[in-house]
Amino acid sequence: MRTGTMSVCLSAFVAHVCLLNSAAANELPSDFAVNPTAVNMTVVPKVVVNSGRLEWTPFSRDLTHWPSLSHEDRRSTLKPRKVALSEPLNGDPVRGRALALARDKGYCIVCHELPGEDWPGTVGAMLLNFKKNNYPNELVFQQIFDARAFNPNSVMPPFGTFGILTEQEIRDLVAYVQSLD
Amino acid sequence: MKPTLIAMILLAGMVQLPAQADAPYREYDVIEDYLPNVKGDMQLSGSYKHWKDPKNLDWRLAGNPEENWKLNWKFMDPPFNTSVHGGHFAADRGEAIFKELNKTGRFAACLGARNGSLKGLRTHYPMDRPDLKHVAGLEEVIERCAAKEGRVLQNGSYDNSAVSVYVASQSTGMPININVTRSGPLKASFERGRKLFHMRAGRFNLACSSCHTHQIGLHLRGNVVTTPYGDAAHFPVYRTRYQLQSLHLRFAECNLDTRTQPLVPGSRAYTDLEVFLTGLTNGYPVSVPSERD
Repeated sequence: MRTGTMSVCLSAFVAHVCLLNSAAANELPSDFAVNPTAVNMTVVPKVVVNSGRLEWTPFSRDLTHWPSLSHEDRRSTLKPRKVALSEPLNGDPVRGRALALARDKGYCIVCHELPGEDWPGTVGAMLLNFKKNNYPNELVFQQIFDARAFNPNSVMPPFGTFGILTEQEIRDLVAYVQSLD
Repeated sequence: MKPTLIAMILLAGMVQLPAQADAPYREYDVIEDYLPNVKGDMQLSGSYKHWKDPKNLDWRLAGNPEENWKLNWKFMDPPFNTSVHGGHFAADRGEAIFKELNKTGRFAACLGARNGSLKGLRTHYPMDRPDLKHVAGLEEVIERCAAKEGRVLQNGSYDNSAVSVYVASQSTGMPININVTRSGPLKASFERGRKLFHMRAGRFNLACSSCHTHQIGLHLRGNVVTTPYGDAAHFPVYRTRYQLQSLHLRFAECNLDTRTQPLVPGSRAYTDLEVFLTGLTNGYPVSVPSERD
């Protein structure tokens, strides 16, 4: 009898969790700028001169997957993640440099100074002569994967935890910055 | 005995679960105190001393791309910038629409004008609107009041912002004055806005404050980060890239730039952010029509 009550309780418990999850996944906040029928739901406002109506055009990427500023958004931020790097590094510095300059990938140049590039950012640490720091690969890998492991207030995007870069891409970036002398 | 214990633990779990669901794990940047007045910038970036007098800006700073961030782009505002631009055309169209809608005087009264005068009206927005039962920005109120007159002026649309530019231009030179320290809906909105300003969001896990509090004066590629103080005074603004842009559309642009899902203009979150930024602009004169890159 007790066991029976327990299983009901357990199934109710699981159903409750499932319901919560499905609600979070299917129902977007009502104030999202989206076209719910499109593959990439996110839309961009477009101002039309001398018109009382706002037009919306598709954005190149679906941004609904990440937590937003909406008060209705009940999703959590992915927590900081510590990772271990398995050596050998096996990264390609040439590919790493391309990633560091690619808008849709690392785009490190926005914040960091890199050799041979105009208009670098100055928000992040300068990466010229980075090799002389003699940082272990594992530390650099963790910094790019999720810098919050070292500093919870770091403004550096958690490229690994948030899936912006793959593990191999981060290995390539580590190889690139470790080669800067 | 044991099954009872397990059941009790499970029950405790069920009780706790909704509480956890109510408070998702979100990351905040270090929340600092902000003085709800434009002078508060002296404790943040210190650039206020360069732009506090809009009439007498240092043209040597304005002409130097390494230093013009210290003027917080105020060198593009009237009266320092005397050029004619798209913002002036918008003000003209806004005036025509306003006069069309205000034939009976009802439209101006709906916006909150006293005795039909628009002078100083912009300095009190965003305000708590009992008819809407929430705090609302000028553009949201324009949309609502125009609808009462049978005209569609969607929040963020060119015509809506044009009317907003015209209304704001009647207050040019008058200091922004919203009270966010007296307890009430406006203060609550300011506090929510402050929290949102520091809340991390989007694909890159960035908050507004990630750059606009701690990195002021530093480069992000070709741009230099400026202070959040004094920024709300020149909206809606003529952007050479985006035509006429209301503050809420600017927020949407910021969100997209940091790969965060944008919200629709007039959303509660954007209005709270508007109240926060307008609070940080208290005491600085309205500068409309204005232009930016």
